[in-house]
Amino acid sequence: MTAVTVTRLTPLPAIDHGRAGLGGQVRSEWTKLRSVRSTWICLAIIVIGGIGLSALVTFIEADRWAHLGFADRAQFDPVRFSQTGEFLSQFVVGVLGALIVTSEYGTGSIRTTLATTSRRTTVLIAKVLVIGVVVFVVSELTAFASFFTGQAVLLAHGGKALPPGSSIIDQVRSPTIPVVSITDGAAARAVFLCGVYLLLLTLVACGLGFILRHTAGAISAFVGILLVLPLIVNILPSSFSTSFERYLPSNLGLAMILVTSRKTDFAGILLPPWQAAGLLAVYTLAVVVLAGWLLVRRDA
Amino acid sequence: MISATHLTKSYGATRAVDDLSFEVRPGVVTGFLGPNGSGKSTTMRMVMGLDRPDAGTVRIDGRSFVDLRWPLREVGALLEAKALHPGRSAFQHLWAMAQTNAIPKARVTEVLGLVGLEAVGRRRVGKYSLGMSQRLGIASALLGDPAVLLFDEPINGLDPEGILWVRTLLTGLAGEGRTVLVSSHLMSEMALTATDLVVIGRGRLIADTTVEDFIASNTEATVLLRGPDPAALATMVRTAGGGTAPASDGALLVTGLDAARIGDLAHRAGLALHELSPQQASLEEVFMDLTSDMVDFHGHTTAEVAS
Repeated sequence: MTAVTVTRLTPLPAIDHGRAGLGGQVRSEWTKLRSVRSTWICLAIIVIGGIGLSALVTFIEADRWAHLGFADRAQFDPVRFSQTGEFLSQFVVGVLGALIVTSEYGTGSIRTTLATTSRRTTVLIAKVLVIGVVVFVVSELTAFASFFTGQAVLLAHGGKALPPGSSIIDQVRSPTIPVVSITDGAAARAVFLCGVYLLLLTLVACGLGFILRHTAGAISAFVGILLVLPLIVNILPSSFSTSFERYLPSNLGLAMILVTSRKTDFAGILLPPWQAAGLLAVYTLAVVVLAGWLLVRRDA
Repeated sequence: MISATHLTKSYGATRAVDDLSFEVRPGVVTGFLGPNGSGKSTTMRMVMGLDRPDAGTVRIDGRSFVDLRWPLREVGALLEAKALHPGRSAFQHLWAMAQTNAIPKARVTEVLGLVGLEAVGRRRVGKYSLGMSQRLGIASALLGDPAVLLFDEPINGLDPEGILWVRTLLTGLAGEGRTVLVSSHLMSEMALTATDLVVIGRGRLIADTTVEDFIASNTEATVLLRGPDPAALATMVRTAGGGTAPASDGALLVTGLDAARIGDLAHRAGLALHELSPQQASLEEVFMDLTSDMVDFHGHTTAEVAS
């Protein structure tokens, strides 16, 4: 028989104070997030796809300015165009947020994770913190980069900033394409809230991951909330739907990033930007709290 | 030490574990035996605080899992070898675990070396064979240097050398004074590795004993007897109150008398003996007898189907 030698392990120095806590879980989640390819692919799509899509849409809009009628010129929103990438990114962050949880349920490694701590909520908090910080930083950088790219595209088309205090009428009558400066308070707020919107959606997806424990299920639910829910609300009688649609997560997102066009076609329909952000944060908190409640009570 | 008291767990209408009480002592390897679906994995998940018992408690060195402050340093488990993210390397997997319990990076390298994965530690685990995954699972159980260890079917997918290695490792870990609970549906394997046994069927305790006592108390001792005059030997045995049954090649299987007594009788009667050997039922046979009515999923052999 083959001789088998088994090396003995050197004893691990004991720790007689403290306990396995949030700090260790955060470091562990960061290691796990960094060490899978899907993270880098998703982040690359947010950055490259986000900036690219924003530049492309701004380019097409700028090209058409000379041919636009009054109504279209009134809706011309240089900030919104430069944030078009957000439409793509909202689904990518949904995938990221869900995967940080459901990839562990899918493989069964969630049991390895939960066996590292006697307090399960630290696992949820660590995941929320790590994916939240990563998505927020990348989303904000992308949002601002997209904004500057978009305005650069408009300037290249002969765009000019309107004088401060200009009205929508001034914009419609302007011979040149309107360009927005980041020093415009409304623009800076819209770009900043774009990153906040993506952060909150990520955490919703993360919460859905803990609730549904299945990648396809969590992503379907996430897409359903953003795409299907508005369709259903639209089928309802308008007397009914108009009072509801402003509270839909997708419309809260719109309310957070619109600048020029909110003065015209969306006037009175959407909530003010910060209120919209606040309400979406409340929804997010509700989903995450439900996720934590279930995580502590259910068998792994 | 692991102690389970009146542990009960149902999933829907199925009772996976039913009023199960047992103790696993440190210093020896304890085999956790039962047919597939008998509740071994469920019990192990309850030890690890992953599934919540409907009733009863399970304690690790006197404490429940939720009271452990550094869980990986107190109890290590290999539950499912393939429960790994395929895109992560073994090193990254272990390092992520280590960070949760303040275990230094050097320890990760050390356990990878112990299980023989140092050369492939940086490779994605999706490419690992089942045997390599088992080794990684064993490494993760040992990561925190815990006093209590649980291994669910650790030799699945291992080659003969790997099986021998696991056996040596397990007895070595027990020899260091650790509590080692190893589940298996392979009785022969447990006969070689384990000292103590916890046997369950359909979630209920069948035996909590040692391997030796388990076999002794569940089989009638028999002795194989062979000689040039089988008829005379049979008469001799029956006269002394023993029972005989024919065995292969004209040998006799004797019940009710032990080998020493048979040898004495033969000597006195002047009968020659060619073989006198106490027969021990294998753990496998004992186990099959005990659990035959407790197996949920019966297989059928071709012979059975044909008849």
